[in-house]
Amino acid sequence: MYLKPKDKTGERKVSMGVTCVCQIPVTEGKSVQQTVDLLHKKLEQLGAVKQGSFCVDCETYQSTGNAAGQPSKLLYVMHNSEVPLSCMALFEGGPCLTADTNFDVLMVKLKSHFQNAKGHKVECRGSRYRYCDFLIKVGTVIMSSSARGISVEVEYCPCVVPGDCWNLVREFMQSFLGNNVPELPTVFAAKPEGLFAPADCVDTMTQYLELFNKLRKLQITGSNVR
Amino acid sequence: MSGGPAVRISIESSCEKQVQEVDFHGTETYVPPLSMSQNLTKLAQRIDFSQGSDSEEDGGDGEPRDREWVNQETEEEEGTVKFQPSLWPWDSVRNNLRSSLAEMCVLHDVLSVVKGKNYMALDPVSQDPTAGKTPQVFQLISKKKSLATAAQVLLKGAEKLSKSVTENQENRRQRDFNSELLRLRSQWKLRKVGDKILGDLSYRSAGSLFPHPGTFEVIKNTDIDLDRRIPEDYCPLDVQIPSDLEGSAYVKVSIQKQAPDIGDLGTVNLFRRPQKNKAGAQPWHVKLEAAQNVLLCKEIFAQLSREAVQIKSQIPHIVVKNQIISQPFPGLQLSISLCHSTGEKKSSRASPEKPKPDDHLYVLEHNLHQMMREFHKQQLSSVVMPHPATAPFGHKRLRLAGPMAYDKAEISSLQQSEGLLEKIIKQAKHIFLRSRTARTIDSLASRIEDPQIQAHWSNINDVYESSVKVLITSHGYEQICKSIQLQLNIGVEQIRVVHRDGRVVTLSHQEQELQDFLLSQMSQHQVHAVQQLAKVMGWHVLSFSNHVGLGPVESIGNASAITVASPNGEYAISVRNGPESGCKVLVQFPRSQIKELPKSDVVQDAKWSQLRGPHKEVNWSKMEGRNFVYKMELLMAALTPCP
Repeated sequence: MYLKPKDKTGERKVSMGVTCVCQIPVTEGKSVQQTVDLLHKKLEQLGAVKQGSFCVDCETYQSTGNAAGQPSKLLYVMHNSEVPLSCMALFEGGPCLTADTNFDVLMVKLKSHFQNAKGHKVECRGSRYRYCDFLIKVGTVIMSSSARGISVEVEYCPCVVPGDCWNLVREFMQSFLGNNVPELPTVFAAKPEGLFAPADCVDTMTQYLELFNKLRKLQITGSNVR
Repeated sequence: MSGGPAVRISIESSCEKQVQEVDFHGTETYVPPLSMSQNLTKLAQRIDFSQGSDSEEDGGDGEPRDREWVNQETEEEEGTVKFQPSLWPWDSVRNNLRSSLAEMCVLHDVLSVVKGKNYMALDPVSQDPTAGKTPQVFQLISKKKSLATAAQVLLKGAEKLSKSVTENQENRRQRDFNSELLRLRSQWKLRKVGDKILGDLSYRSAGSLFPHPGTFEVIKNTDIDLDRRIPEDYCPLDVQIPSDLEGSAYVKVSIQKQAPDIGDLGTVNLFRRPQKNKAGAQPWHVKLEAAQNVLLCKEIFAQLSREAVQIKSQIPHIVVKNQIISQPFPGLQLSISLCHSTGEKKSSRASPEKPKPDDHLYVLEHNLHQMMREFHKQQLSSVVMPHPATAPFGHKRLRLAGPMAYDKAEISSLQQSEGLLEKIIKQAKHIFLRSRTARTIDSLASRIEDPQIQAHWSNINDVYESSVKVLITSHGYEQICKSIQLQLNIGVEQIRVVHRDGRVVTLSHQEQELQDFLLSQMSQHQVHAVQQLAKVMGWHVLSFSNHVGLGPVESIGNASAITVASPNGEYAISVRNGPESGCKVLVQFPRSQIKELPKSDVVQDAKWSQLRGPHKEVNWSKMEGRNFVYKMELLMAALTPCP
């Protein structure tokens, strides 16, 4: 397994490793907050140490000035507290870009091409736990000021090749998620096998975006049911 | 010619003809006589009419008549001119005659008017001699009057002159102010706000972030008496600095400890506060520089106190009023204080604050200033052009943080972490450690004479590291005893000792550790010296150990021992030297030399006499010789049999 080199102080560089984001269903008969608390308790029992909080947010923009007949594409602009000076822009099913935070200002200037869908803002906030080389973030997904679901992000910091450490990550997730362990994320599955394809923050953001979209659809269907 | 119309002109022909030439035969050739007209012309040309022309002017009254004359004459003239063009030569004659006539007529008129006494009377005109007859009083008055007029003229002139002089002076002063202002402007930042001229003292343009405005006002120095002599130090331009920047200030750094063992930390008093004004420097310049220095000191202190509050250390830094107290080592106090004295209060305030005149750490004070400037420069260079218009200001590598998605750890590693206070504390620690090391070595060197200890300090060192080479030798045997050479690298928290053979020992900042280490090295040196000496003397080394496991336990380090045998193997010397127990020298004699051999049942045979005999301790302190190695040499020499 390829591990990142240790730095002078003997610690592995605490940087973006292989990350897996998954959605955890709310336990029957419990609220979102209660489920989150339960997860926190499990992690603390495991020996994880709380290290501050985290926040991931996503804004949706709709492209307007398209040629007639083409469907309007969506652009997601996301921020992650883990990379505080950056701003990620992801096209629906298309290219993505990483820029500095001035990109938000640029989006305001591009109002005529991309319209901000105000109601679609999604946020995910929660606590950050460290357990040896693992970084665990348990967050609540908030859409239009109401909690919609629970996200769990597990990052194995020393490694950047998903195929090398996926089993380890899954085993670790099993220890506190039980049966809710996800399959290998599609972003990693799409990567060519055997090649050195390091995971980066865009992979994480793509996973978060998928999770948000899933929750959004759930909400719509849920409302239909209601 | 004043004859007027009655001028008699006689026209006569000459009776004789002029002789032109006489021939040889007596015949006279006559000039043909002039014709009548020719003769007339000739005569007329002889008349000089200009003689009477000056009387022509006074004929003003007779003008009307003159006109008449002229009218009459012109008619006549026209006639003559028409019909007698040949009379041309007479024209001047005629003109003159006519003007004479006019004059005469006028004179006649005047005389007749005067004669009638109706309109005009003739009075005698008073000439100069009549003036002499005026009374003296009048003369005096007139003289006085004229003198007064002259005086007035002179006074007026003087007034004008003096006015122009004062104007000139005023102008010069004005010009002086302007030139001073120009000079001020070449050295300080100025701007005009309303009718005031404001200057900038702050280091903001140099990258400072200190919020003090640091403005000063330029005023014209007008409170000076124009009539008096202008004092030497008069300057038409004055500056008004904010009251909180007045006086002088400095940042004082000192290390205090209960035991007075660091008195030698402060170096000589480099700059007593009120520096002498440089000759030729403008008073405003001196004033502004002092104010700027105050501002910088304040900025340094503000920065330090901010950091002192923010930084979490095991022993928290204390900020009290104008003092920051930190504890770099246990029992040691680093105090940084801002001393700001404003003019008059200086003497009363300075005395209680300074119990010791020079416990300053001038190097650190200087470094503080330097670090502040470096900080300024760093601030400035991040804003300096050119820089990308869309990226945030800051470190060049920090600009990549966004697009490269740096995470928190990476970003924090990019940002400068060490503050002014941390740096200065580190430097203070180093300075303290260095001076204490020097003191330890010196006290050891003076206390212990044998072996000798020498320290060679390097002149050039880093702010956080310096080195010293320590040699341990024996007097008189420097060439053969060079075994112990230590390189001491003094850092911030610890001292690294590098042996000659490459071994590295790390000592903490505790003084005792270094002392113990040096003592053990000195004891080892003696044994090493015996080994070297044995080589020179031809003795054989039987055993050698730096760290003996037997015998009494030393409280510091280990004892070392050596056994050497004489060249023929008869004698052996054993030396054991410990840092605490001192040295113990034993000599082993051959069995044959001992008279009263202990009776033994086993070793009866004569061949056993070659065995080594028992040891006997040498009363080392009674040995002759000035040091250990010399004593040893004497002992070895005594035990070596003569050939």
